[in-house]
Amino acid sequence: MFHSFDEALLRRLEEKAKEIRLTVLDMCSQAGTGHVTSSFSCVEILVTLFYGGILKFDPTNPGWEDRDRFILSKGQASAILYPILADLGYFPKERLKRFCREDGSFGVHLQHDVPGAEITSGSLGHGLGIASGIALAGKMDRKLFMVFTLLGDGECYEGSVWEAAMFAAHNRLNNLVAIIDRNSLCVTNFTENMLELEPLDEKWRSFGWNVRTVNGHSFPQLLEALGDVRCRYSSRPTVIIARTVKGKGVSFMENVPLWHGAAPGGEEARKAREELMRSKTETK
Amino acid sequence: MKWKTLRDFFWNRVYELAMEDRNIVAVIADMGAPALDSFRVNLPSQYIDVGIAEQNAISLSAGLSLGDKKPFVYAIAPFITLRCFEQIRVDLAAMDLPVTIVGVGAGMSYDDSGPTHHCVEDITVLSPLPNFYIHNISDPVMARAFADISVKFPHPNYVRLDRKVLPKIYPEDFSFDDGLSLLKEGNDCVIVATGNMVHRALEVSQILEARGISCGVIDVYEFPVNARLLLEFIAPVERVFTLEEHSLRGGLGSVVGEVMLDGAVSKPLYRMGIDTKKGFCYRYGGRNYLQKCLGLDPLTIAEKITTAFTGS
Repeated sequence: MFHSFDEALLRRLEEKAKEIRLTVLDMCSQAGTGHVTSSFSCVEILVTLFYGGILKFDPTNPGWEDRDRFILSKGQASAILYPILADLGYFPKERLKRFCREDGSFGVHLQHDVPGAEITSGSLGHGLGIASGIALAGKMDRKLFMVFTLLGDGECYEGSVWEAAMFAAHNRLNNLVAIIDRNSLCVTNFTENMLELEPLDEKWRSFGWNVRTVNGHSFPQLLEALGDVRCRYSSRPTVIIARTVKGKGVSFMENVPLWHGAAPGGEEARKAREELMRSKTETK
Repeated sequence: MKWKTLRDFFWNRVYELAMEDRNIVAVIADMGAPALDSFRVNLPSQYIDVGIAEQNAISLSAGLSLGDKKPFVYAIAPFITLRCFEQIRVDLAAMDLPVTIVGVGAGMSYDDSGPTHHCVEDITVLSPLPNFYIHNISDPVMARAFADISVKFPHPNYVRLDRKVLPKIYPEDFSFDDGLSLLKEGNDCVIVATGNMVHRALEVSQILEARGISCGVIDVYEFPVNARLLLEFIAPVERVFTLEEHSLRGGLGSVVGEVMLDGAVSKPLYRMGIDTKKGFCYRYGGRNYLQKCLGLDPLTIAEKITTAFTGS
């Protein structure tokens, strides 16, 4: 049973998702690089967090000590975080045009000195441990901020993820929310063909986490799953397994392993743009 | 009186400091020390067990640092450096976070534990990291001082501790700002040493004096090395020897060679350390025996240096 959400909010989020996808596409196409498909699978997740009233933040004060922290562990999706941070006013949108350029200041993977970025990431399996440390520090100081981290599903092959998962549950870090972008694809193959990750929910549950599984492209489901995490109804950390489609929004890029880490150019970019312009995000 | 190890001098001081500063936290990967028992009992909120999970210990410490804590992350030296090198590289060095890694078991400290526990490649592996500092501790005064220094140190910092008891070299009020110190002057040659081998160098210099060779001793306790001061100290002597209980590939000897090369200093350099051509050390029988096998015992070193002068 899903709550009914303000239709106007849902429409705003849908529009924002479309706008962000187009910005990601343009930024990466112009640069000729960037992880477009890895970014497209988590657009609705990030839009919900940043525009759906979930995260507390202040773009005029990126170091605000009571802000919620968003730790992008799958650092290859910086191509979506940077446009969002620019859109929110962390830095001028002009900087996006210099993505991966000689006169630019950031590239394919996340860089901690970009305002709002919080950490450097790109190598997988680091973010959950870092997020756990921030969450623990917050608890020690009796702070009320939350820590959110986004992991790729392929990232869950890294043993360090499970070291951190064990730690967070044992230390009752209920101010920590991990979201897994379960797009089922790695670089070369589908996860279940490569090395079975399922049953992923049972794995996390057995590690002591609250587990929620949602359609990661559905704003109502994401708002529902994330809406009450601040209430801390449980002493356990929460993981949201968001089932997504890699490359979501562009038919010829969806679920195609070879599009990992690539950016469409020329005619393909034009076609992708057309599709995105026509697209409508799922709202169920 | 029970002899205290470097670990005890270091952690006792960290504990004293933590009593006054609640932001100091110990992140422990299943390692003990008397001071850590006090931590656990008296400062439980500043004592964090991570289990035998070095990768998470480093990432977690990065997060704690981002949350304005001052983490001291502690484990057996080869495990907390080599197993989690990438976490050190990305989470600490790339973000330049002031986290202190405390590794116990430098060199062949875990003598009879075999090559899994020998720590002889860590300086080579960690030295190239930008923003990252290694402090290889050679005596109890230095161990205690680096507890204070680490709390205020603005970069990631690895405090490398020998497991065994090492005698005192430095006066209590010594300042460790320079990264290296000239412990003994010599007219003919100098041994540039690090960690436990500083004591060996002092011992050997006495043997050499009896043979008519005036040999100085330099203790390098910080990497990257203070090149300017090193060049100044080696300027007066004819020959330079390096001594380390660490791999010759990329260790102290290599670093000193680079400093001399970059400084256009042309004089004979002889490196003494662990030769990788001999393979991993599957020898047992105590540290003295292992050092003898590795050519790092006093007489072998003295012979090598004497031969450099006599040519026979």
